[in-house]
Amino acid sequence: MNLEEYRTLFLAASLALILIAAFPTLSMVIRFPKSSENFSELWVLGPDHKAEGYPFNVTANEAYRVFVGGSNHLGYSVYYVLYVKLRNQTQPLPDNQKSVPSSLPPLYEFRAFVPDGATWETPVVFSFLEVSPFENSCFVRRMSINDVVFSLDSSSNWDSERSGFYYQLFFELWLYNTTLQSFQYHDRFVGIWLNMTG
Amino acid sequence: MSASKLFLVSLVVFISVFPIFVSGALASNGEDAAASAVERAEGVVVSAYQDVLEAERAGANVSGLLAQLNDAAGILVQARISYMAGDSNETVRFADLCSEVGENVRKDAHRLRDLAVKEADERFLWTMIGSIVSVSAIVCATFIGWLAFKRRFHERTSG
Repeated sequence: MNLEEYRTLFLAASLALILIAAFPTLSMVIRFPKSSENFSELWVLGPDHKAEGYPFNVTANEAYRVFVGGSNHLGYSVYYVLYVKLRNQTQPLPDNQKSVPSSLPPLYEFRAFVPDGATWETPVVFSFLEVSPFENSCFVRRMSINDVVFSLDSSSNWDSERSGFYYQLFFELWLYNTTLQSFQYHDRFVGIWLNMTG
Repeated sequence: MSASKLFLVSLVVFISVFPIFVSGALASNGEDAAASAVERAEGVVVSAYQDVLEAERAGANVSGLLAQLNDAAGILVQARISYMAGDSNETVRFADLCSEVGENVRKDAHRLRDLAVKEADERFLWTMIGSIVSVSAIVCATFIGWLAFKRRFHERTSG
C-alpha cells in the first residue's frame, strides 16, 4: 500500500467514527417514517368473552350481554366514539367502501380515549322492553342499553326463508379528526343478528 | 256584563293561563341551558384532548391524562343521556362536572407538555454537546494519528 491509499483508509475510518459519534444528534433531528400500517380494530364478543355464544333468539324483557372492544394502532392517542344502532333487514348498513355511516340514528354511544397500542372494551347489556308482533311485522317500541331506556320505532317483517323477525344490533366506530375538528366515521363496524321470538 | 265582572273574569283567565307560559318559558330556558352546557363540555373535552396530543408529541407520558379524559368522556355520555331524557338539571350537573375534569386535564397537559419540551431541549443540548466533543476528538485524533503514521511511514521507506 502506498501513502495515498493509507490516507484514504484513514479518512474512511475517521468518517465512519464521525458518523457514529454524530448519530445520536442526527436521530433527534431526522425523523424516519414508521414502516408499520396504521389502523384500528373493532370486535364484538359473546357473554363469556369469546367469539361464540352470541345472543340470537331474543325475547322481550330479557337482558343480553355482549362485549364490544377495539384497539388503536394509529400511532397516537385517539378519541373514539362508538355508536350503537339497530336496524332491520332492509335498513342501511354503513358503507365502508365509501366511508359512509348508516343513516340510522344512534341509540346509545360510548366514548373512549385510547393510547397507541392499547385496547379498550366495554360490556353492552341490552333488552327489548316493548315488543308487539302484528300480523307479518314485529314492532320494537322501547329498548334499554346499559340500563338506559330508549323509545324507538323499529319494525321488522317476517322473513319466511329464515323463519323469523330479524334485527341487527351494530356498532359504528367514529374517530375525532383534529384537522377537521369533528368526528368522522372510521370505516369500522361490527354487529350481531337477533331473531325476535316474542 | 259589568266592568267589574269583566275584570274579574279576565283576572281569573290571566291567573290560570300565566303559569303555563311561565313554565313553558322556564322549561325552554332550562333546555337551552342544558344544551349549551353539553356543547361547552364537548368543547372542553376536545380542547383537552388536543392539549394531551400536543403533550404526547412533545414526549410526555400522557397515560394518566388519558385516564382522566376517559372519566370526562363517561360523564359527558351521562350528560347527553340526561339531555335526551329531558332532565335539564342532571344534564347541566353532568356537563359542568365534565367541563371541570376537562379543564383540569388541560392544565395538567400544558404543564406536562412544557416539562417534556424543556426536558427534550436539555436532552438535545447535551446530546449535541456530546456529539460535537466526540467528533472534534475523532478529527484531532485522526489528524495527529495521520501525522505520526506519515512520519513513521517515511522513516521506514527511507531507512
